[in-house]
Amino acid sequence: MSERGAREGWTPAITDGEILTDVIEQAFDYRGDITIATRDGTRRVGYLFNRRRDVAVPFIQILPVAGGDPETITYAEIQSIAFTGRDTAAGNSYAAWLKRKESARAAAETPSGDPSSAGA
Amino acid sequence: MSVPLSQMWTVASYVLRQKLRGRTRYPLVLMLEPLFRCNLACAGCGKIQYPAHVLKRHLTVEQCLQAVEECGTPMVSIPGGEPLMYPDIGRLVQELVKRKKYLYLCTNAILLKQRLEEGVFAPSKYLSFSVHMDGLRAEHDDAVCREGVYDQAVEGIREAVRRGFRVTTNSTLFDGASPTRMRMFFDEMMGLGVEGMMLSPGYSYAKAPDQEHFLRRQKTHELFSTMLSQPKKRWKFNQSPIFLQFLMGQRDFECTPWGMPAYNIFGWQRPCYLLQEGYASSFRDLMENTRWENYGRRSGNDKCQDCMVHCGYETSAVDFTFSSWRGLRETVAATLGKL
Repeated sequence: MSERGAREGWTPAITDGEILTDVIEQAFDYRGDITIATRDGTRRVGYLFNRRRDVAVPFIQILPVAGGDPETITYAEIQSIAFTGRDTAAGNSYAAWLKRKESARAAAETPSGDPSSAGA
Repeated sequence: MSVPLSQMWTVASYVLRQKLRGRTRYPLVLMLEPLFRCNLACAGCGKIQYPAHVLKRHLTVEQCLQAVEECGTPMVSIPGGEPLMYPDIGRLVQELVKRKKYLYLCTNAILLKQRLEEGVFAPSKYLSFSVHMDGLRAEHDDAVCREGVYDQAVEGIREAVRRGFRVTTNSTLFDGASPTRMRMFFDEMMGLGVEGMMLSPGYSYAKAPDQEHFLRRQKTHELFSTMLSQPKKRWKFNQSPIFLQFLMGQRDFECTPWGMPAYNIFGWQRPCYLLQEGYASSFRDLMENTRWENYGRRSGNDKCQDCMVHCGYETSAVDFTFSSWRGLRETVAATLGKL
């Protein structure tokens, strides 16, 4: 899961603590909302902006999509994490912008009726 | 240097107080981000890649002032997002000026003329608009991924200068920057009447979408050396000349990431303004519980090897100035000799 955009829609199977830690790191790196199911049956949707595992009780913090204060959830409470929100970083590179700009310029310069202008 | 004497004195006396107290890690400039919302979507900026509900949030003025109080720096930089989109920017600036903080309000200036006409700000020796300008028209509009922004920014700069505000420019230079065209850019900006200019090499944000165009250390030395060789007398740089020598490869420093701590809606960012590796709930937590030994070139951290940006290294340069008579002497020489 190293390619940008590839995590969108992903719900990894979390079977042990090591996988949980790895998934949390991925969720922390992710530029979209996630949905967390906790062991008490609650589901929370928000942006994961912080995690601390070097403390006595490791925890994550999310900004809830519904607004309000940040919520803190311990690692132990987490049952699953789904990458449900749109990856806001995907497809927004400088290179992609340049390519769109060049395509638009090429389309503007191509005479009408030229088949090569289709889909530009 | 073009910085007012009162500001230089404030910074100098602050740094000397830290030295006298035996403080080896001290903040110099607070990077206060009241919001991430922006009216541009520059591909080189990783600061705005968030879901809409995050972009809708912003700090209250009280939260901002609390952070300023906790940190205690003499200078506050207000980046973002775009600070002129912050609903309470006028009040925030007013409160900080009241507290005699030297402010650099970092803006793309698209809204600057409008805000000035609305009377949101009053000229003050404490307030500078630091306008983001990455080069001449073609380069700047490419850097911000929108045509016409350069002209809007120039209009904003002219209006601010006309009204008696302090104005500086800040330029982030990426791979492919032309030293010749940057020298022309320096001429243009000084011709607009700005107080000074600030330069920094771009940094590869881990979370920024574009990873190919950021400068590597060696290329940074080459670019800055060529660009700043035989500088014109009319060029004023609103930053430490020792830092500029560092960029040119004439000096070497270790990073001081605590020098420009960042505070935003998530809290106090670890370890620095650029790397987002977590957040501390208080400034004290940031300073005391961040594993500083894991950052900087000496640490071997991959993310730090090519970084030379001002938020990690300008404080290093300032610290060098005030750490010894030699540092002071060489800074004065660099200032008078224009690098």
